[in-house]
Amino acid sequence: MTPLQFEQRYQPEWDELQTLLRKLRRPHFSWRETPDQQSSGGERIAALYRRACEQLALARARAYPAYLTERLEELTAEAHQLIYQQAELGLGRLKRMVATDFPRAVRAHAVYVWIALAVFALPTLVLGCLVYFRPELILSVVDGAQAVEYERMYSSAAESIGRTRDAQGDWYMFGFYIRNNIGIAFQCFAGGLFAGLGSLFFLAFNGAFGGAIAGYLTEKGLGPTFYSFVVTHSAFELTAIVLSGAAGLRIGHAILVPGRRTRVQSLVVAAKESTVIIYGVFAFLLIAAAVEAFWSSATWMPPAMKYGVAALCWTGVIAYLTLQGRGAR
Amino acid sequence: MAPDILDTLVSAETPEGILLELRPAGLTARCYAFLLDQLIKLAVIYLFEILAIFAGGIGLGLALILLFALEWLYPVVFELSRWGATPGKRSLGLRVIMDNGLPVTPAASLTRNLLRAADWLPFLYGFAVVSMLMRRDFKRLGDIAAATLVVYQPRPATRIATTDIPPLAPAIALAPSDQAAVIALAARASRLTGERLDELAALAAPVSGDAGSSGPHVTRRVLGVAQWFLGRR
Repeated sequence: MTPLQFEQRYQPEWDELQTLLRKLRRPHFSWRETPDQQSSGGERIAALYRRACEQLALARARAYPAYLTERLEELTAEAHQLIYQQAELGLGRLKRMVATDFPRAVRAHAVYVWIALAVFALPTLVLGCLVYFRPELILSVVDGAQAVEYERMYSSAAESIGRTRDAQGDWYMFGFYIRNNIGIAFQCFAGGLFAGLGSLFFLAFNGAFGGAIAGYLTEKGLGPTFYSFVVTHSAFELTAIVLSGAAGLRIGHAILVPGRRTRVQSLVVAAKESTVIIYGVFAFLLIAAAVEAFWSSATWMPPAMKYGVAALCWTGVIAYLTLQGRGAR
Repeated sequence: MAPDILDTLVSAETPEGILLELRPAGLTARCYAFLLDQLIKLAVIYLFEILAIFAGGIGLGLALILLFALEWLYPVVFELSRWGATPGKRSLGLRVIMDNGLPVTPAASLTRNLLRAADWLPFLYGFAVVSMLMRRDFKRLGDIAAATLVVYQPRPATRIATTDIPPLAPAIALAPSDQAAVIALAARASRLTGERLDELAALAAPVSGDAGSSGPHVTRRVLGVAQWFLGRR
């Protein structure tokens, strides 16, 4: 069979497949399915696609001209994308993510979470104690002007805690926290790519920094304002940072100890599984930013109320991560 | 084989047993795409901040949120859209796909764009550049982890014009791969200058029995042989 005969013979099939694909590809402007879309039967597409694959294999084996094989390549590639695409977006998927996938992924990475927690919490405690007993050490973490600034922010005279702000400042700080904190968490994750060292560094660094500030402010007698400020949103924020660090450690471990896979395969699998944690981290940090901007900073509330809500939040977060989605299949 | 070394095609096998050929985009194209995207982001944030000044704290807060979204979510949102690419990539004819030829999944898109933070180091995408230059499929670290590829959108090949050139029986018997080469020359004919076409046709002249000579008339005869190979008589 010559290329021309081949083309003449199968051209109608290719055109039919092309139009069917076009129909499916067309954006759905109306919410109801038009009869047109209903009739663009998947069976017909699948059959035509398989035939096109066969014809492509033939055309290649017979060294048919490039325009023919390329036409078929284009057609099969388009159909392949449509037939094998994975529908991952949607409300059902979101619900499953919240209800089972995220807490399960966290539990599946329990070892990494504990390591990340240790790497984060130890520097916090060590630097916290060091700075508490020898306040001048704060200057090795921040410079003098910043230390004074922190002191001013959490002094009981300030009308709102955290950073000084006016009435609209809450919104400004919401934006600030989103940009700043989610960025930190994402760095903890991405750092895992350097054999986990980046994650370890960012975890320890952020832990040490927070510990030093806490120790310093406690020593200055600003503990009550400071702790009532951070206690609520830290349920989400610190958890999220530890979790993203754990996801990063998973990636680093996968590169260092690939097991029976190649390093790249191992990395791909680890990234796929740990990204589920990152979805949750992202949600946690959004909640944390909102709480930090609109709730933690409010001065009209008695500290007792803040501690009560904080206890609820911490219990809720821990219960969610440890218990949610255990029974579901 | 020499073409193997030179060509950067990546083949992805489908369950139907055919190979999809993907053409990964190299450093230069992706640099341009990146710069275009940066310019777009810059323009958006600039415009927004002009408006935000009038809205006070809320405006500045929203501007920071927008900055965050542009930094981390802009590529994800566009890669998951119908085009599978950010506007910068799209204008260069690039597209992000999974390395098995499928559309990029949300998880993969998120992974490759979060790991941008690692690619970005040491200074301005140092690791990304090294990784892309060292790999035949031009993946940066994020692409490796997410199993994604940045490829050129395939462009349809030009059809061989059914010209007035009469088919001509070949002077010598040719193997299928050589026939394919002659046909490919005919397919490219419309995109070449006349002189270049003559040069190339002179190389193929033995097929029409004109070995050693060149010129438009030889070209016509070689293209005639191509018509013959296509099946015209």
